[in-house]
Amino acid sequence: MARYGMLINTKKCIGCYACRTACQRQNDLLPDEAFIRFEEREEGAYPNVAVEHVPLQCMHCEDAPCASVCPTGAAHMGADGIVSVDQGRCIGCLYCMAACPYQVRSRNSQTGAVDKCRFCTVSSHENGTKMCSCVDACLTDARIFGDLDDPNSEISKAIVKEHATPLKGDLTRAKVYYVR
Amino acid sequence: MSEHAMTRRSFLAGSAGVAAVAAAGGFMGFGAWQQAIAKEEEPPGRTEVVHTLCNACSSKCGYDAYVVDGKLTKLIADEAHPYAQGKICGRGYGYSQIAYSPDRLTDPLKRSADGSFEAISWDQALDEIGQKVREIVEKDGPQALAMVQDPRPSGKYYTKRFMNALGSPNVYTHGAACNLSKESGFTQAIGTGNFESDVERSKMTMFIGRSYADAIRPSSVAALQRAHENGAHIVLVDPRLSNSAAFADEWVPINPGTDLALILAMANVLIDQGLYDKAYVAANAVGFDEWAAAIAGLTPEWAAPITGIEASTIRRLATEFANAAPAASIEPSWRGAFGCSYRNSGETARALCLFNTLLGCWNQEGGALFTSGVSVGKLDPEKFPSTPKIEDAIIGSVEYPLALKSMGTNLYAAQMAKTGKIKGMFFYNSNMAAGYSNPAELASFLDRLKLMVVIDVQMSETAQLADYVLPECSFLERMELPEFVGGKTPVVTLRDQVLDVIHPNTLPSDQIFAKLAQACGVGEYFDFTVEELADAQLRTVGLSLEELREAGTIAFPEKAYSYGATPKWKTPTGKVQFASDACEKAGLPRCPVWMEPEVMPDARAGEFRLIGGKQAIHSHTQTANIEALMDITEEYGLDRAWINASVARDLGIEDGGLVVLHNELFDGPIRVKVTERLNPTAIYLPSHYGCSSKDQHTAYGVGLNVMDFVPFHIEPGYGGAMTQETVVKMQKAGE
Repeated sequence: MARYGMLINTKKCIGCYACRTACQRQNDLLPDEAFIRFEEREEGAYPNVAVEHVPLQCMHCEDAPCASVCPTGAAHMGADGIVSVDQGRCIGCLYCMAACPYQVRSRNSQTGAVDKCRFCTVSSHENGTKMCSCVDACLTDARIFGDLDDPNSEISKAIVKEHATPLKGDLTRAKVYYVR
Repeated sequence: MSEHAMTRRSFLAGSAGVAAVAAAGGFMGFGAWQQAIAKEEEPPGRTEVVHTLCNACSSKCGYDAYVVDGKLTKLIADEAHPYAQGKICGRGYGYSQIAYSPDRLTDPLKRSADGSFEAISWDQALDEIGQKVREIVEKDGPQALAMVQDPRPSGKYYTKRFMNALGSPNVYTHGAACNLSKESGFTQAIGTGNFESDVERSKMTMFIGRSYADAIRPSSVAALQRAHENGAHIVLVDPRLSNSAAFADEWVPINPGTDLALILAMANVLIDQGLYDKAYVAANAVGFDEWAAAIAGLTPEWAAPITGIEASTIRRLATEFANAAPAASIEPSWRGAFGCSYRNSGETARALCLFNTLLGCWNQEGGALFTSGVSVGKLDPEKFPSTPKIEDAIIGSVEYPLALKSMGTNLYAAQMAKTGKIKGMFFYNSNMAAGYSNPAELASFLDRLKLMVVIDVQMSETAQLADYVLPECSFLERMELPEFVGGKTPVVTLRDQVLDVIHPNTLPSDQIFAKLAQACGVGEYFDFTVEELADAQLRTVGLSLEELREAGTIAFPEKAYSYGATPKWKTPTGKVQFASDACEKAGLPRCPVWMEPEVMPDARAGEFRLIGGKQAIHSHTQTANIEALMDITEEYGLDRAWINASVARDLGIEDGGLVVLHNELFDGPIRVKVTERLNPTAIYLPSHYGCSSKDQHTAYGVGLNVMDFVPFHIEPGYGGAMTQETVVKMQKAGE
C-alpha cells in the first residue's frame, strides 16, 4: 500500500495563490473555503531583503490530532494514510480545528461541516485532472506528490536530495515535506 | 498538441473517463447537444470539453473547460497555447466564476431622470441609441463619436468595424492607462511597439518595474524560472521587491520615476569605456554621435543621487551587460514603470531600445527578439465589404503626435467630451472611469456627453456613468473570432462557447455590435455571423473553424522564428533612431536625455510618491468582484498600502495600523503593511481596489483606488495617463 505524501519547495514559491484557487475550482469548493493557507516571511533589512512564501495545507499526519479529538470518528485516517473527513458524520463541533497545529482545516459555511485537503490525486483521476489540483496548477512546479514508501518515486528522491523535512519535525509525523 | 485535445468536443460517458461517442457530423452546439441528450434521455453526469481563452487578463491563455450537465466544473490548461504552456494562473481559476456571479448584468439598462437605472428591452435600447447616434452624425459628423475598448478577440474587430462604418476614426484602446508610452517610445527608436526578451537563454536580463510573478503569464514565469536555473543574471529594478525575487539575483530598489536616469548612465558607461557593439551601431543606427554627445555628462555619479543607486552599482551593471552581450537585454516591460506612469515614460522606452542596441542584442540568442506572427489574409469583399475609407485622423493625433495610432489617447478624447468636440462615446470591456487618473474629473467630462453607452458583464464604475448599459454574456458563454498569437512559433487559438447563455437577455459582443450597426443605419457591414467570419479568416491561413474547434490551438511551425536575422527597422530612416525628428517636432528632445518627472516627493515635507502595481490574483479592477479572489484579498489584507519599515518606525505606525493617505485631490483611510521590501520614498497601493460601484457587492468598499490620488494630466507627446505622477502625505488615523 502506498503511503502518499507531498513536497513543497518554498524556494520556488512565488506566492501567487494559484494552488488555492485551483483547489477551490477543481474540487468545487465554496469561495471562502480554503484548503491551502499561506504564511509570508521577510528576512533582513532594506535593501537586503529575502522573502519566503510558505503554503500550508493538511499534512496528513500519521499521528493526527484531528482524528484523536474527533468525537464521532468523522475525522479519520484511511488505509492509504490519507486523513479524511466523513462529511455526513461531522457534527461541526470544531474540535479538530482547535487541535490542528497547522490551522489548515476549513469550515464549510453552508453545511457547517469541517473539511480540508484531500490529497485529491488519489480520488480524481478522471475529467482531465491527473494530479492533485495544487500540484497540477503550480506555475513553478514547487510541489511534488507521490509515494513516500517507494524509494524510487520522484518525491522520495527529492526529499533526500533537497533535505526536505516536515514543517514541525516529528511533532505529528506529517507527510507534507518542505524545502526551505 | 494537448493530450486533452483527443477528448475536446467529444462526449465522455458518465464520470468513468472512457471516451464514448464522437460528435456525429462534426461540431454540435452545446444547446443542440443538450436538446439531443434530453430527447435520448441519456443518464446525467455527461461531460463536454470545450476550448476557451481565459478573460482574466489580456494574455488570454487557453484552457479546456469541462462542463458536466451544463455546469462548468474543471479547467485544464492548454499545453499547446504559447502563454499557458499547460498552466493557468490563480486569476484564471477564480475568474471563471464570473459566469455565475450574482452581480451580472442581465438586461439592457437606461438611466432614468433621477439617475437610477431601469431595465428596458433590446429593441428600445437599440432604437434610442441608434436615433441618438444618427443625430450626432448629422449635426456634428462622425468625428464626434468615439469608442474605448480593451482588445479582445471579437471586440477588437467589431468595435473598429462599427466605428469605421459610421465614418469615425476614433477607436481607442486602454493603452493610455497601460502601455501606450512604452509602445510609442519603442516605435520612435526601433519602428515597432514591442519585442520579446529571450530571458530563458540570456546571460543577463534586467527587468524595470515589471514582475512576471505578480502580473502573471504562465509562460513568462516558466521562462524566468528556467533562466534562473540556467544561471542567468536576473536584475529587478523596482522600488518594490516583487515576488519575482524568487528567481532573481539582485534587487535594485530605484527611486520611482528615475529609471530613465539609470538607463542613460549605464549607456554613458558603455560609450565612455568603449564597451558597446560599435560595428552593430555603425551598421544599424542613425544619430548615435548626437546621442553620445547629449549624454556625455550623464555619468553614474550624476545618476546616483537621482536614482538612489550607488554609482559603483550602476557602473557594475553596465559592465556586466557588456560582458553578457549579445545574450543580454533590458526586458521591454508592459505597464510596469513606463507604460504610462510618468512624464518621462515615452522617453524611458526610447532610451531602453537604444541601450539594447548598444548591446547588439537584437535577434540574438538570449537577447531581444522580434518574433514571428501570422495574420488574416484578404476576405471575400462581397460577404465582408470594406468600410469606407476615413480621411480624418483619430482625435488626439495632432496634440499627441507620438501616440501610436492603433491605440490613440482616449484621455484626450474624454477631455474633448468636456469641450463638446466629442458627443457620443462607447465603452466596450473598459472600465475607464475607475482605472484612469482622477476618476472624479473624468466623470465630469463624460457627464457632458450626449450619449454614453457601456457594454460590459457587470456594473463597472464606467457603467454607472452611462446613459445606456448593454449586457454582454460572459466570455464562457460566447464564441469569439480566432486569436492569432505571435511568438517563437506563432499559433491561432479559439475562445469557443463553453456554456449556454445563462441570462437570456445578454448577448455576445459580435451580435451587440451587429445590432447597434443596424440601429445606426450601417447594418450592411455586419451581414454575417461570427462563425462565418471566423471560418473565412481561418481559411486565409489554410485552416477552418471546424479544425480549430477540434484542436483548440494550432501552431504554424513553418513560420517559426529563428535567431540571427538583422531586423528590418520600420522607422522613417530605416535604422535604429538614436535621434528622432518626430520627437523633436513633438516638442521633445531629438535624443532621449534626462527629463525629471513632473512631481518629486519632498521627504522633508512628509511626501511620498504613490505607486501602483498588480497582485497575482487580480487584473486591474475587473476581478475584484470575484468572491474567491476577493476572499484572498481580505484574508491576507492584500488591499493594504505598503510602507517602508524605517518610515513606519519614524512615524510610529505599526504593521496593520490604520493611516490616512491624502493629497489635494483625495483622502482616504487604509491599513498598512510595514515592509522592508519598499523604497522609502514610495508608498505602494495595489491597483485593484476602492471599487465605488455599489452594484459590485463583493468589491465595493474594499481598499482605496490609487487613481483617486492622481491628477488628470496627459504625458506630452506620447499621450499617457502619467499614473504615478503624484505625491501623497500620510498620517496615523485619528491624529
